[in-house]
Amino acid sequence: MSNQDTNVGEDASDLSRRSFLRIFGISATCAGALVSAGNLIAKGQVAEPATDPPPKIPDYDWNKHKWAFGVDATRCIGCLRCVEACKAENGVAQDAHHFRTWVERYVYLEGEDKPHIDSQDDPQNIAASGSEKEFRFDNRYKDARVEKAFFVPKLCNHCTHPSCVEVCPTGATYQTKDGVVLIDHSYCIGCEYCVQACPYGVREFNHVLGVTDKCTWCYHRITKGLLPACVEVCPVEARVFGDRNDPQSPISLFIRNNRVEVLKPETGNAPNVFYVGIDKEVS
Amino acid sequence: MPKHIARLLILVAVLAVAAIAAKKFFTDKSYYMYGNYRGNSVAEIASDVPRFRGNEYCKSCHTKQYAEWSNSPHNSPGIGKHVKCEVCHGPVGQHPSNLPAPLHFDDRIAIAEGIAPPSQEQPSPDGKLPVPKDMTKCVQCHEAMPGRPLVQRQVVIAAHAGTEQCIACHNPHSPKINFAAMLQPPRGDTIAGKAAAAACGACHGVAGASVNPAWPNLAGQHAGYLINSLKAFKSGTRTNAMMSAMVAGLSDTDMQNVAAYFAQANCKTSGGDKAKIDLGKTKATSCALCHGASGISDNPAWPNLAGQNADYLSNTLKSFQNGNRNHPVMTSVAKTLSALDVDNLTAYYASASCK
Repeated sequence: MSNQDTNVGEDASDLSRRSFLRIFGISATCAGALVSAGNLIAKGQVAEPATDPPPKIPDYDWNKHKWAFGVDATRCIGCLRCVEACKAENGVAQDAHHFRTWVERYVYLEGEDKPHIDSQDDPQNIAASGSEKEFRFDNRYKDARVEKAFFVPKLCNHCTHPSCVEVCPTGATYQTKDGVVLIDHSYCIGCEYCVQACPYGVREFNHVLGVTDKCTWCYHRITKGLLPACVEVCPVEARVFGDRNDPQSPISLFIRNNRVEVLKPETGNAPNVFYVGIDKEVS
Repeated sequence: MPKHIARLLILVAVLAVAAIAAKKFFTDKSYYMYGNYRGNSVAEIASDVPRFRGNEYCKSCHTKQYAEWSNSPHNSPGIGKHVKCEVCHGPVGQHPSNLPAPLHFDDRIAIAEGIAPPSQEQPSPDGKLPVPKDMTKCVQCHEAMPGRPLVQRQVVIAAHAGTEQCIACHNPHSPKINFAAMLQPPRGDTIAGKAAAAACGACHGVAGASVNPAWPNLAGQHAGYLINSLKAFKSGTRTNAMMSAMVAGLSDTDMQNVAAYFAQANCKTSGGDKAKIDLGKTKATSCALCHGASGISDNPAWPNLAGQNADYLSNTLKSFQNGNRNHPVMTSVAKTLSALDVDNLTAYYASASCK
């Protein structure tokens, strides 16, 4: 008895629920269409990328440049002038844990297959430099039987297909028309998805601002006709920078006159930092 | 249509309008201008003021230093050696003023958000850039370290200079030592020098050829080295019972005269053990950089060794080894030599022609 009553009651509510869902579904679809139509209109009003003037940078047109970077690891002496210059130029935290560019050391000892790899945030190097604020290579292999050793400068590869830009949820990181990957710090929410997406580990976190930070190839310098700070100070010309649109630029000559390679080509990121003289273990 | 359904529809419509309005209102005008990002941020990032300003900026005032540097090995861009001003002196920034540098883009964001600016650049109080006087800057590139390419000039600091600072011998703007261009010591008067040298003659010989092989020949020695040695005895940095007493009465002019007299005197090669000469010659390659391949030094401040008494040379090396005599380079060099090396080397130099 009570069972039947309940069934009748359910039947009645079923009808109204069905019609409710139908009406709600239609209205939600309409609302969705309305929002996206609004979006499209909004986009149509502002967009027209072909006619937009380039960003207001004095005496600079980003359509005319295609920047690229070269590293000749056979020349690097591991003096770390580039690292300190980068910090001074860009206001990067003066400690041994935040780097936009850094230098790695690969040492193969006699009779060993795997290299010993270390960089500034290596505890032994920090201890040798005397404080957390400095970055030096501890000369720890001076008495060892070294078979092969070399330094490799690292920095953002400013990929043609940057995976960091792909994952950014707020549009804070993006690629400019002249091929530089930048971060808009006023839009970055510090979620660090990009830090995880980068196959090269070049992004660092700015703990003061709570935003992700990265190498900009000194965008404020290159747009004024200067070299990035690390290239400017490299005393052995291990770092090369220039415009690939200019066939006589240092980077065009570097790529033309050397057999260059990129790091982790298998990721499909198509890096724009070209290396000479690195080894199979370098990635 | 039931009333509650109509209400719901109105609510959905209101929400939709609010969403569109909010998106229009809150999205920056420049968003989507070039893509899925805020277009104005490109120019904002590009507006930072460079800290490193390049050599041309330095050149406009520091013409002398720039000229020294521009002809030196530190300015050899063709072979990949290009040590510009800011590599050692740091970024120019606002130098020569002591004004703070314009804020970084990030600093401006931080201030807008009420956070202390992350970079915290401190302008130098007097507007001057650091002028490194110790070896810290030099060793960053020149300390011998596995991994540095062989073309890079590298030294084992302790063996090269001991605790002496690099600028004692090298000018960092033009680090290659040009001995020919070095200042010659003032010329002394040889006639007056001969009279004053009478007292020296009892041991070193009136003509500068020592009467005892344990004492040095002075004839033909560089005047600069002789003056430095006499001064070292007078100041006490070198000690010897006889010499310390002898120099006490000599004035600077006396020293110049005596040195000039012995420097122009005809030297005599003393000769050494012939069996050891060849062995010594092989070993002498490490001495040749300073004392010359044939034992005649290019630098008037460093002694000629050719023709010198073997016993004297051997005593000198031993006193460097045991610390009775000290010199930033010689102390560490001498300690690498065995007793046999010392015998061979001194025999070689004693037999080398002093002319």
